[in-house]
Amino acid sequence: MLLLVCAPIFLYLLVPTLIVVPMAFTPGALLKFPPGGMSLRPFRALLGDPAWVDAAIVSLKAAAVAVGLGGVVATLAALGLHSAKFAGRGVVQGALMVPIVAPLIVLALADYQFLATVRLTGTWLGIGLAHSVLAVPYVFITLQASLAGLDPALLRSARGLGAGHWSVFRHVYLPALRPGLLAGALFAFAASFDEAVIALFLQGPAATTLPVKIFTDIQYDLTPKIAAVAALLVGLATLVFVVQTAVLLRRRSQPRATTAG
Amino acid sequence: MRDGSSRELAARMALLAPFFLLYGVLLVWPLGSMVRQSLTDAAAPYAQVVRNPMFRLAVTNTLVISALTTLCALVLGYLCAAAIWKSAGVARVVVLALVLLPFWTGVLVKNFAWAVLLHDHGVVNSLLQDLGLIRQPLPLLHNRFAVIVGMVHFVLPYAVFPILAAMTAIDDRLERAAASLGASRLNTSRLVVLPLTLPGVYAAALLVFIVSTGFFITPVLLGGPKDMMVANLVEYYARQLVDFPAASAVAVLIVAGVSVLVACYERLPKEGQFGKL
Repeated sequence: MLLLVCAPIFLYLLVPTLIVVPMAFTPGALLKFPPGGMSLRPFRALLGDPAWVDAAIVSLKAAAVAVGLGGVVATLAALGLHSAKFAGRGVVQGALMVPIVAPLIVLALADYQFLATVRLTGTWLGIGLAHSVLAVPYVFITLQASLAGLDPALLRSARGLGAGHWSVFRHVYLPALRPGLLAGALFAFAASFDEAVIALFLQGPAATTLPVKIFTDIQYDLTPKIAAVAALLVGLATLVFVVQTAVLLRRRSQPRATTAG
Repeated sequence: MRDGSSRELAARMALLAPFFLLYGVLLVWPLGSMVRQSLTDAAAPYAQVVRNPMFRLAVTNTLVISALTTLCALVLGYLCAAAIWKSAGVARVVVLALVLLPFWTGVLVKNFAWAVLLHDHGVVNSLLQDLGLIRQPLPLLHNRFAVIVGMVHFVLPYAVFPILAAMTAIDDRLERAAASLGASRLNTSRLVVLPLTLPGVYAAALLVFIVSTGFFITPVLLGGPKDMMVANLVEYYARQLVDFPAASAVAVLIVAGVSVLVACYERLPKEGQFGKL
Protein backbone atom coordinates (compact mmCIF):
# COMPACT_ATOMS: atom_id res chain seq x y z
CA MET A 1 0.00 0.00 0.00
CA LEU A 2 2.70 2.42 1.09
CA LEU A 3 4.90 1.19 -1.75
CA LEU A 4 2.04 1.91 -4.14
CA VAL A 5 1.72 5.49 -2.85
CA CYS A 6 5.47 5.89 -3.23
CA ALA A 7 5.69 4.44 -6.74
CA PRO A 8 5.27 7.86 -8.42
CA ILE A 9 7.97 9.28 -6.13
CA PHE A 10 10.40 6.55 -7.11
CA LEU A 11 9.49 7.14 -10.73
CA TYR A 12 10.28 10.84 -10.21
CA LEU A 13 13.65 9.89 -8.72
CA LEU A 14 14.52 7.46 -11.46
CA VAL A 15 12.97 8.74 -14.68
CA PRO A 16 15.46 11.51 -15.49
CA THR A 17 18.36 9.08 -15.24
CA LEU A 18 16.46 6.46 -17.22
CA ILE A 19 15.69 8.94 -19.97
CA VAL A 20 19.28 10.08 -20.42
CA VAL A 21 20.63 6.63 -21.24
CA PRO A 22 18.35 5.77 -24.22
CA MET A 23 18.72 9.34 -25.47
CA ALA A 24 22.48 8.81 -25.67
CA PHE A 25 21.86 6.25 -28.44
CA THR A 26 19.84 8.69 -30.60
CA PRO A 27 20.50 7.90 -34.28
CA GLY A 28 19.57 11.35 -35.60
CA ALA A 29 21.17 14.74 -35.08
CA LEU A 30 18.31 15.93 -32.86
CA LEU A 31 17.30 14.65 -29.44
CA LYS A 32 13.98 12.84 -29.53
CA PHE A 33 12.20 10.57 -27.12
CA PRO A 34 11.68 7.77 -27.85
CA PRO A 35 14.94 8.02 -29.80
CA GLY A 36 13.54 5.96 -32.70
CA GLY A 37 16.33 3.47 -33.01
CA MET A 38 19.67 2.62 -31.54
CA SER A 39 22.98 3.98 -32.72
CA LEU A 40 26.44 4.64 -31.34
CA ARG A 41 26.62 7.81 -33.39
CA PRO A 42 26.55 10.25 -30.44
CA PHE A 43 29.44 8.39 -28.76
CA ARG A 44 31.43 8.35 -32.01
CA ALA A 45 30.72 12.06 -32.53
CA LEU A 46 31.87 12.66 -28.96
CA LEU A 47 35.18 10.88 -29.46
CA GLY A 48 35.70 12.69 -32.75
CA ASP A 49 35.20 16.12 -31.20
CA PRO A 50 38.49 17.48 -29.81
CA ALA A 51 36.68 19.94 -27.53
CA TRP A 52 34.94 17.11 -25.65
CA VAL A 53 38.01 14.88 -25.61
CA ASP A 54 40.11 17.77 -24.23
CA ALA A 55 37.47 18.45 -21.60
CA ALA A 56 37.57 14.79 -20.54
CA ILE A 57 41.37 14.90 -20.30
CA VAL A 58 41.29 18.10 -18.20
CA SER A 59 38.69 16.49 -15.91
CA LEU A 60 40.80 13.35 -15.52
CA LYS A 61 43.97 15.31 -14.77
CA ALA A 62 42.23 17.52 -12.21
CA ALA A 63 40.61 14.49 -10.58
CA ALA A 64 43.97 12.71 -10.44
CA VAL A 65 45.51 15.66 -8.56
CA ALA A 66 42.49 15.82 -6.25
CA VAL A 67 42.48 12.09 -5.48
CA GLY A 68 46.26 11.88 -5.11
CA LEU A 69 46.84 14.94 -2.95
CA GLY A 70 43.53 14.83 -1.07
CA GLY A 71 43.84 11.06 -0.62
CA VAL A 72 47.31 11.18 0.95
CA VAL A 73 46.41 14.09 3.24
CA ALA A 74 43.15 12.40 4.33
CA THR A 75 44.85 9.04 4.94
CA LEU A 76 47.51 10.61 7.16
CA ALA A 77 44.85 12.60 9.01
CA ALA A 78 42.74 9.48 9.58
CA LEU A 79 45.80 7.69 11.00
CA GLY A 80 46.65 10.69 13.15
CA LEU A 81 43.17 10.81 14.62
CA HIS A 82 42.66 7.05 15.04
CA SER A 83 41.78 6.34 18.70
CA ALA A 84 43.18 9.75 19.61
CA LYS A 85 42.01 11.39 22.79
CA PHE A 86 43.83 14.73 22.76
CA ALA A 87 42.00 17.97 23.41
CA GLY A 88 40.89 19.64 20.20
CA ARG A 89 40.25 16.37 18.40
CA GLY A 90 36.63 17.39 17.84
CA VAL A 91 37.71 20.72 16.39
CA VAL A 92 40.11 19.04 13.95
CA GLN A 93 37.41 16.59 12.92
CA GLY A 94 34.91 19.40 12.39
CA ALA A 95 37.46 21.39 10.39
CA LEU A 96 38.06 18.36 8.14
CA MET A 97 34.38 18.41 7.14
CA VAL A 98 34.23 22.13 6.28
CA PRO A 99 34.64 21.67 2.49
CA ILE A 100 31.47 19.61 2.18
CA VAL A 101 29.44 21.99 4.35
CA ALA A 102 30.69 25.24 2.79
CA PRO A 103 28.65 26.49 -0.19
CA LEU A 104 30.53 25.69 -3.41
CA ILE A 105 30.07 29.22 -4.72
CA VAL A 106 32.01 30.62 -1.74
CA LEU A 107 34.85 28.14 -2.24
CA ALA A 108 34.81 28.92 -5.96
CA LEU A 109 35.17 32.67 -5.40
CA ALA A 110 37.87 32.27 -2.72
CA ASP A 111 39.79 29.73 -4.80
CA TYR A 112 39.60 31.92 -7.88
CA GLN A 113 40.98 34.98 -6.10
CA PHE A 114 43.76 32.99 -4.42
CA LEU A 115 44.80 30.94 -7.48
CA ALA A 116 44.81 34.12 -9.60
CA THR A 117 47.54 35.56 -7.36
CA VAL A 118 49.72 32.46 -7.95
CA ARG A 119 48.77 32.36 -11.67
CA LEU A 120 47.07 28.98 -11.53
CA THR A 121 43.62 29.97 -12.81
CA GLY A 122 42.84 28.48 -16.21
CA THR A 123 44.99 25.40 -15.52
CA TRP A 124 44.01 21.82 -14.71
CA LEU A 125 46.48 21.92 -11.83
CA GLY A 126 44.58 24.82 -10.25
CA ILE A 127 41.27 22.97 -10.59
CA GLY A 128 42.89 19.83 -9.16
CA LEU A 129 44.32 21.72 -6.18
CA ALA A 130 40.95 23.31 -5.43
CA HIS A 131 39.26 19.90 -5.73
CA SER A 132 41.83 18.20 -3.47
CA VAL A 133 40.31 20.07 -0.53
CA LEU A 134 36.87 18.72 -1.53
CA ALA A 135 38.29 15.18 -1.76
CA VAL A 136 39.68 15.13 1.80
CA PRO A 137 36.36 14.71 3.69
CA TYR A 138 35.19 11.85 1.43
CA VAL A 139 38.38 9.84 1.88
CA PHE A 140 38.62 10.72 5.57
CA ILE A 141 35.08 9.56 6.43
CA THR A 142 35.56 6.27 4.57
CA LEU A 143 38.93 5.55 6.21
CA GLN A 144 37.74 6.54 9.66
CA ALA A 145 35.00 3.93 9.32
CA SER A 146 37.53 1.29 8.19
CA LEU A 147 39.80 2.08 11.14
CA ALA A 148 36.96 1.99 13.65
CA GLY A 149 37.10 -1.81 13.58
CA LEU A 150 40.83 -1.87 14.30
CA ASP A 151 41.62 -2.79 17.91
CA PRO A 152 44.28 -0.50 19.46
CA ALA A 153 45.54 -3.59 21.35
CA LEU A 154 46.74 -4.91 18.01
CA LEU A 155 48.96 -1.85 17.61
CA ARG A 156 50.31 -2.19 21.12
CA SER A 157 51.19 -5.84 20.60
CA ALA A 158 52.82 -5.10 17.24
CA ARG A 159 54.97 -2.42 18.86
CA GLY A 160 55.65 -4.66 21.85
CA LEU A 161 56.92 -7.30 19.45
CA GLY A 162 59.38 -4.77 18.07
CA ALA A 163 57.63 -3.48 14.95
CA GLY A 164 58.78 -0.04 13.82
CA HIS A 165 56.51 2.75 12.49
CA TRP A 166 56.76 1.48 8.91
CA SER A 167 56.06 -2.16 9.85
CA VAL A 168 53.08 -1.12 11.92
CA PHE A 169 51.72 0.87 8.98
CA ARG A 170 52.46 -1.89 6.46
CA HIS A 171 51.17 -4.87 8.44
CA VAL A 172 48.53 -3.46 10.80
CA TYR A 173 47.08 -0.28 9.31
CA LEU A 174 47.31 -0.98 5.60
CA PRO A 175 45.26 -4.23 5.60
CA ALA A 176 42.55 -2.42 7.58
CA LEU A 177 42.70 0.63 5.31
CA ARG A 178 42.82 -1.08 1.92
CA PRO A 179 39.07 -1.53 1.15
CA GLY A 180 38.28 1.95 2.50
CA LEU A 181 41.14 3.45 0.52
CA LEU A 182 39.72 2.19 -2.77
CA ALA A 183 36.17 3.26 -1.96
CA GLY A 184 37.31 6.63 -0.61
CA ALA A 185 39.42 7.27 -3.70
CA LEU A 186 36.42 6.49 -5.91
CA PHE A 187 34.13 8.85 -3.94
CA ALA A 188 36.78 11.57 -4.14
CA PHE A 189 37.18 10.97 -7.87
CA ALA A 190 33.43 11.26 -8.41
CA ALA A 191 33.29 14.43 -6.27
CA SER A 192 35.95 16.08 -8.44
CA PHE A 193 34.76 14.67 -11.77
CA ASP A 194 31.18 15.93 -11.18
CA GLU A 195 32.05 19.31 -9.68
CA ALA A 196 31.06 22.28 -11.85
CA VAL A 197 30.96 25.50 -9.82
CA ILE A 198 34.62 25.75 -8.77
CA ALA A 199 35.69 24.44 -12.17
CA LEU A 200 33.54 27.11 -13.85
CA PHE A 201 35.31 29.90 -11.98
CA LEU A 202 38.76 28.43 -12.58
CA GLN A 203 38.19 27.51 -16.25
CA GLY A 204 40.28 28.83 -19.09
CA PRO A 205 40.73 28.03 -22.79
CA ALA A 206 43.07 25.19 -21.86
CA ALA A 207 41.17 24.12 -18.76
CA THR A 208 37.50 23.38 -19.35
CA THR A 209 36.26 20.31 -17.49
CA LEU A 210 33.46 18.03 -18.68
CA PRO A 211 30.85 19.43 -16.25
CA VAL A 212 31.74 23.00 -17.28
CA LYS A 213 31.41 22.09 -20.96
CA ILE A 214 28.06 20.43 -20.28
CA PHE A 215 26.94 23.52 -18.34
CA THR A 216 27.87 25.92 -21.16
CA ASP A 217 26.59 23.67 -23.96
CA ILE A 218 23.17 23.04 -22.36
CA GLN A 219 22.57 26.80 -22.41
CA TYR A 220 22.91 26.79 -26.21
CA ASP A 221 21.32 23.55 -27.33
CA LEU A 222 20.40 20.09 -26.10
CA THR A 223 22.40 17.74 -28.32
CA PRO A 224 22.90 13.96 -28.52
CA LYS A 225 26.57 14.56 -27.61
CA ILE A 226 25.56 15.96 -24.22
CA ALA A 227 23.26 12.97 -23.79
CA ALA A 228 26.21 10.66 -24.51
CA VAL A 229 28.42 12.38 -21.89
CA ALA A 230 25.55 12.34 -19.42
CA ALA A 231 25.09 8.61 -20.01
CA LEU A 232 28.79 8.02 -19.30
CA LEU A 233 28.45 10.02 -16.07
CA VAL A 234 25.41 7.93 -15.13
CA GLY A 235 27.64 4.88 -15.61
CA LEU A 236 30.20 6.40 -13.22
CA ALA A 237 27.47 7.18 -10.68
CA THR A 238 26.24 3.60 -10.88
CA LEU A 239 29.76 2.32 -10.26
CA VAL A 240 30.14 4.57 -7.22
CA PHE A 241 26.76 3.42 -5.94
CA VAL A 242 27.71 -0.26 -6.32
CA VAL A 243 30.98 0.29 -4.47
CA GLN A 244 29.21 2.19 -1.70
CA THR A 245 26.68 -0.61 -1.29
CA ALA A 246 29.48 -3.19 -1.22
CA VAL A 247 31.31 -1.20 1.48
CA LEU A 248 28.14 -0.88 3.57
CA LEU A 249 27.29 -4.57 3.29
CA ARG A 250 30.86 -5.60 4.09
CA ARG A 251 30.92 -3.39 7.17
CA ARG A 252 27.68 -4.87 8.42
CA SER A 253 28.85 -8.46 7.95
CA GLN A 254 32.17 -7.73 9.70
CA PRO A 255 32.45 -8.26 13.45
CA ARG A 256 33.04 -4.90 15.12
CA ALA A 257 36.41 -5.10 16.86
CA THR A 258 38.56 -7.94 15.62
CA THR A 259 41.52 -8.80 17.77
CA ALA A 260 42.29 -11.89 15.73
CA GLY A 261 44.68 -10.71 13.05
CA MET B 1 52.37 3.57 25.06
CA ARG B 2 49.73 5.76 26.72
CA ASP B 3 47.46 8.23 24.98
CA GLY B 4 48.38 11.75 25.90
CA SER B 5 52.09 11.10 26.17
CA SER B 6 53.98 13.92 24.51
CA ARG B 7 55.79 11.66 22.05
CA GLU B 8 52.55 10.22 20.80
CA LEU B 9 51.01 13.65 20.50
CA ALA B 10 54.01 14.75 18.42
CA ALA B 11 53.54 11.75 16.10
CA ARG B 12 49.84 12.55 15.73
CA MET B 13 50.59 16.17 14.93
CA ALA B 14 53.14 15.09 12.32
CA LEU B 15 50.45 12.99 10.65
CA LEU B 16 48.03 15.91 10.78
CA ALA B 17 50.58 18.45 9.49
CA PRO B 18 49.79 17.89 5.77
CA PHE B 19 46.11 18.46 6.54
CA PHE B 20 46.86 21.74 8.35
CA LEU B 21 49.10 22.79 5.46
CA LEU B 22 46.62 21.88 2.69
CA TYR B 23 43.61 23.47 4.39
CA GLY B 24 45.71 26.44 5.49
CA VAL B 25 46.89 27.23 1.97
CA LEU B 26 43.82 26.23 -0.05
CA LEU B 27 40.98 27.03 2.36
CA VAL B 28 41.84 29.33 5.27
CA TRP B 29 44.10 31.68 3.31
CA PRO B 30 41.73 32.07 0.31
CA LEU B 31 38.71 32.57 2.58
CA GLY B 32 40.67 35.05 4.68
CA SER B 33 41.65 37.14 1.68
CA MET B 34 38.06 36.96 0.47
CA VAL B 35 36.89 38.47 3.77
CA ARG B 36 39.62 41.13 3.50
CA GLN B 37 38.46 41.93 -0.06
CA SER B 38 34.93 42.45 1.20
CA LEU B 39 36.17 44.95 3.81
CA THR B 40 37.94 47.31 1.36
CA ASP B 41 37.10 51.02 1.78
CA ALA B 42 35.71 50.54 5.30
CA ALA B 43 33.32 47.75 4.28
CA ALA B 44 31.83 49.87 1.49
CA PRO B 45 31.10 46.78 -0.70
CA TYR B 46 28.48 45.63 1.82
CA ALA B 47 26.59 48.91 1.60
CA GLN B 48 26.88 48.82 -2.20
CA VAL B 49 25.59 45.24 -2.40
CA VAL B 50 22.73 45.65 0.06
CA ARG B 51 21.48 48.77 -1.75
CA ASN B 52 21.32 46.92 -5.09
CA PRO B 53 17.71 45.79 -5.77
CA MET B 54 19.15 42.60 -7.25
CA PHE B 55 20.38 41.65 -3.80
CA ARG B 56 16.88 41.82 -2.35
CA LEU B 57 15.55 39.83 -5.30
CA ALA B 58 18.23 37.16 -4.92
CA VAL B 59 17.71 36.86 -1.15
CA THR B 60 13.91 36.67 -1.49
CA ASN B 61 14.22 34.10 -4.28
CA THR B 62 16.65 32.01 -2.25
CA LEU B 63 14.37 31.99 0.80
CA VAL B 64 11.17 31.29 -1.16
CA ILE B 65 12.64 28.65 -3.49
CA SER B 66 14.49 26.91 -0.62
CA ALA B 67 11.38 26.92 1.57
CA LEU B 68 9.19 25.46 -1.20
CA THR B 69 11.87 22.88 -2.02
CA THR B 70 12.15 21.93 1.66
CA LEU B 71 8.40 21.55 2.01
CA CYS B 72 8.08 19.31 -1.07
CA ALA B 73 11.17 17.29 -0.13
CA LEU B 74 9.84 16.69 3.40
CA VAL B 75 6.48 15.36 2.21
CA LEU B 76 8.00 13.12 -0.48
CA GLY B 77 10.95 12.17 1.74
CA TYR B 78 8.70 11.16 4.63
CA LEU B 79 6.73 8.81 2.36
CA CYS B 80 9.94 7.35 0.89
CA ALA B 81 11.44 6.84 4.35
CA ALA B 82 8.26 5.13 5.54
CA ALA B 83 8.31 2.86 2.48
CA ILE B 84 11.91 1.85 3.21
CA TRP B 85 11.19 1.41 6.92
CA LYS B 86 8.12 -0.78 6.37
CA SER B 87 9.55 -2.93 3.60
CA ALA B 88 11.76 -5.93 4.17
CA GLY B 89 14.11 -8.21 2.29
CA VAL B 90 14.56 -7.69 -1.45
CA ALA B 91 11.92 -4.94 -1.58
CA ARG B 92 13.87 -2.95 1.00
CA VAL B 93 17.14 -3.26 -0.91
CA VAL B 94 15.43 -2.20 -4.15
CA VAL B 95 13.71 0.78 -2.54
CA LEU B 96 16.93 1.89 -0.83
CA ALA B 97 18.76 1.58 -4.14
CA LEU B 98 16.15 3.75 -5.85
CA VAL B 99 16.89 6.53 -3.37
CA LEU B 100 20.66 6.06 -3.21
CA LEU B 101 21.43 5.69 -6.93
CA PRO B 102 20.31 9.21 -7.89
CA PHE B 103 22.32 10.52 -4.91
CA TRP B 104 25.56 9.96 -6.78
CA THR B 105 24.33 11.34 -10.11
CA GLY B 106 25.74 14.80 -10.64
CA VAL B 107 23.60 17.92 -10.72
CA LEU B 108 24.42 18.54 -14.41
CA VAL B 109 23.24 15.14 -15.58
CA LYS B 110 20.02 15.62 -13.62
CA ASN B 111 19.45 19.13 -14.92
CA PHE B 112 20.14 18.03 -18.49
CA ALA B 113 17.55 15.29 -18.06
CA TRP B 114 14.99 17.77 -16.71
CA ALA B 115 15.68 20.16 -19.57
CA VAL B 116 15.15 17.32 -22.07
CA LEU B 117 11.93 16.34 -20.30
CA LEU B 118 10.45 19.79 -19.78
CA HIS B 119 11.39 22.00 -22.73
CA ASP B 120 8.79 23.09 -25.32
CA HIS B 121 9.45 20.18 -27.69
CA GLY B 122 10.53 17.95 -24.82
CA VAL B 123 9.34 14.55 -23.71
CA VAL B 124 6.45 15.73 -21.53
CA ASN B 125 5.05 18.26 -23.99
CA SER B 126 5.35 15.87 -26.96
CA LEU B 127 3.58 13.17 -25.00
CA LEU B 128 0.74 15.46 -23.95
CA GLN B 129 0.37 16.74 -27.52
CA ASP B 130 0.39 13.21 -28.98
CA LEU B 131 -2.34 12.26 -26.54
CA GLY B 132 -4.29 15.29 -27.71
CA LEU B 133 -4.50 16.75 -24.20
CA ILE B 134 -2.92 20.07 -25.17
CA ARG B 135 -2.46 22.00 -28.42
CA GLN B 136 0.24 24.47 -27.46
CA PRO B 137 3.26 23.25 -25.50
CA LEU B 138 3.02 24.08 -21.79
CA PRO B 139 5.71 26.47 -20.49
CA LEU B 140 7.43 23.93 -18.23
CA LEU B 141 11.06 25.03 -18.52
CA HIS B 142 12.88 28.25 -17.58
CA ASN B 143 10.58 29.11 -14.73
CA ARG B 144 10.33 28.59 -10.98
CA PHE B 145 8.37 25.38 -11.39
CA ALA B 146 11.29 23.76 -13.25
CA VAL B 147 13.80 25.03 -10.65
CA ILE B 148 11.80 23.46 -7.83
CA VAL B 149 11.25 20.20 -9.72
CA GLY B 150 15.01 19.96 -10.31
CA MET B 151 15.98 20.98 -6.77
CA VAL B 152 13.55 18.65 -4.98
CA HIS B 153 14.84 15.83 -7.16
CA PHE B 154 18.38 16.61 -6.06
CA VAL B 155 17.75 17.07 -2.32
CA LEU B 156 15.28 14.22 -1.77
CA PRO B 157 17.92 11.77 -0.42
CA TYR B 158 19.00 14.43 2.11
CA ALA B 159 15.42 14.43 3.41
CA VAL B 160 15.00 10.65 3.44
CA PHE B 161 17.96 9.63 5.58
CA PRO B 162 17.45 11.73 8.75
CA ILE B 163 13.75 10.75 8.75
CA LEU B 164 14.59 7.09 8.18
CA ALA B 165 17.10 7.22 11.07
CA ALA B 166 14.37 8.53 13.39
CA MET B 167 11.95 5.82 12.17
CA THR B 168 14.32 2.91 12.68
CA ALA B 169 14.92 4.18 16.23
CA ILE B 170 11.27 3.61 17.13
CA ASP B 171 10.63 0.56 19.29
CA ASP B 172 8.26 -1.56 17.17
CA ARG B 173 6.47 -2.73 20.33
CA LEU B 174 4.99 0.78 20.57
CA GLU B 175 2.98 0.26 17.40
CA ARG B 176 1.76 -3.13 18.55
CA ALA B 177 0.81 -1.64 21.91
CA ALA B 178 -1.15 1.11 20.18
CA ALA B 179 -2.92 -1.44 18.00
CA SER B 180 -3.78 -3.69 20.95
CA LEU B 181 -5.24 -0.67 22.76
CA GLY B 182 -7.59 -0.21 19.81
CA ALA B 183 -5.88 2.51 17.81
CA SER B 184 -6.59 2.44 14.10
CA ARG B 185 -3.63 2.37 11.72
CA LEU B 186 -4.18 6.01 10.88
CA ASN B 187 -4.23 6.96 14.56
CA THR B 188 -1.11 4.88 15.25
CA SER B 189 0.69 6.75 12.49
CA ARG B 190 -0.64 10.12 13.59
CA LEU B 191 -0.32 9.80 17.37
CA VAL B 192 2.62 7.41 17.82
CA VAL B 193 4.90 7.35 14.78
CA LEU B 194 4.69 10.97 13.65
CA PRO B 195 5.60 12.59 17.02
CA LEU B 196 8.52 10.18 17.45
CA THR B 197 9.89 10.98 14.01
CA LEU B 198 9.61 14.77 14.39
CA PRO B 199 13.28 15.20 15.43
CA GLY B 200 14.25 13.49 12.19
CA VAL B 201 11.87 15.74 10.26
CA TYR B 202 13.40 18.86 11.82
CA ALA B 203 16.90 17.64 11.02
CA ALA B 204 15.87 16.82 7.45
CA ALA B 205 14.19 20.22 7.07
CA LEU B 206 17.28 22.15 8.14
CA LEU B 207 19.63 19.98 6.11
CA VAL B 208 17.55 20.30 2.95
CA PHE B 209 17.12 24.05 3.47
CA ILE B 210 20.89 24.51 3.93
CA VAL B 211 21.67 22.49 0.80
CA SER B 212 18.97 24.37 -1.16
CA THR B 213 20.30 27.85 -0.35
CA GLY B 214 23.58 27.03 -2.10
CA PHE B 215 22.15 26.06 -5.50
CA PHE B 216 23.88 27.70 -8.43
CA ILE B 217 23.64 25.45 -11.51
CA THR B 218 19.91 24.67 -11.36
CA PRO B 219 18.60 28.28 -11.35
CA VAL B 220 20.74 28.98 -14.43
CA LEU B 221 19.78 25.89 -16.42
CA LEU B 222 16.16 25.37 -15.41
CA GLY B 223 15.10 28.82 -14.19
CA GLY B 224 14.32 32.06 -15.93
CA PRO B 225 16.11 35.39 -15.50
CA LYS B 226 13.91 36.23 -12.51
CA ASP B 227 14.86 33.09 -10.58
CA MET B 228 18.39 34.27 -9.66
CA MET B 229 19.51 33.00 -6.25
CA VAL B 230 22.28 34.35 -3.97
CA ALA B 231 24.95 32.04 -5.44
CA ASN B 232 24.13 33.42 -8.89
CA LEU B 233 24.56 36.94 -7.54
CA VAL B 234 28.14 36.08 -6.48
CA GLU B 235 28.85 34.83 -10.00
CA TYR B 236 27.22 37.92 -11.50
CA TYR B 237 29.43 40.28 -9.49
CA ALA B 238 32.62 38.24 -9.94
CA ARG B 239 32.40 37.12 -13.57
CA GLN B 240 30.05 39.58 -15.29
CA LEU B 241 30.96 42.81 -13.48
CA VAL B 242 34.48 41.72 -12.35
CA ASP B 243 33.71 43.44 -9.02
CA PHE B 244 35.49 41.17 -6.57
CA PRO B 245 34.95 43.25 -3.41
CA ALA B 246 31.18 43.16 -4.01
CA ALA B 247 31.23 39.43 -4.90
CA SER B 248 33.22 38.77 -1.71
CA ALA B 249 30.72 40.76 0.37
CA VAL B 250 27.83 38.64 -0.95
CA ALA B 251 29.86 35.46 -0.30
CA VAL B 252 30.61 36.53 3.29
CA LEU B 253 26.91 37.24 3.85
CA ILE B 254 26.09 33.74 2.49
CA VAL B 255 28.63 32.18 4.87
CA ALA B 256 27.11 34.12 7.77
CA GLY B 257 23.61 32.93 6.90
CA VAL B 258 24.64 29.31 6.37
CA SER B 259 26.68 29.34 9.61
CA VAL B 260 23.59 30.32 11.59
CA LEU B 261 21.64 27.45 9.98
CA VAL B 262 24.47 24.95 10.56
CA ALA B 263 24.71 26.03 14.22
CA CYS B 264 20.97 25.37 14.58
CA TYR B 265 21.45 21.98 12.91
CA GLU B 266 24.26 21.07 15.32
CA ARG B 267 22.05 21.99 18.27
CA LEU B 268 19.19 19.75 17.19
CA PRO B 269 18.74 16.81 19.55
CA LYS B 270 20.09 13.67 17.89
CA GLU B 271 17.65 10.88 17.15
CA GLY B 272 19.40 8.46 19.53
CA GLN B 273 18.00 10.35 22.50
CA PHE B 274 14.45 9.58 21.49
CA GLY B 275 14.62 5.84 21.30
CA LYS B 276 17.05 3.01 21.16
CA LEU B 277 18.93 2.70 17.91
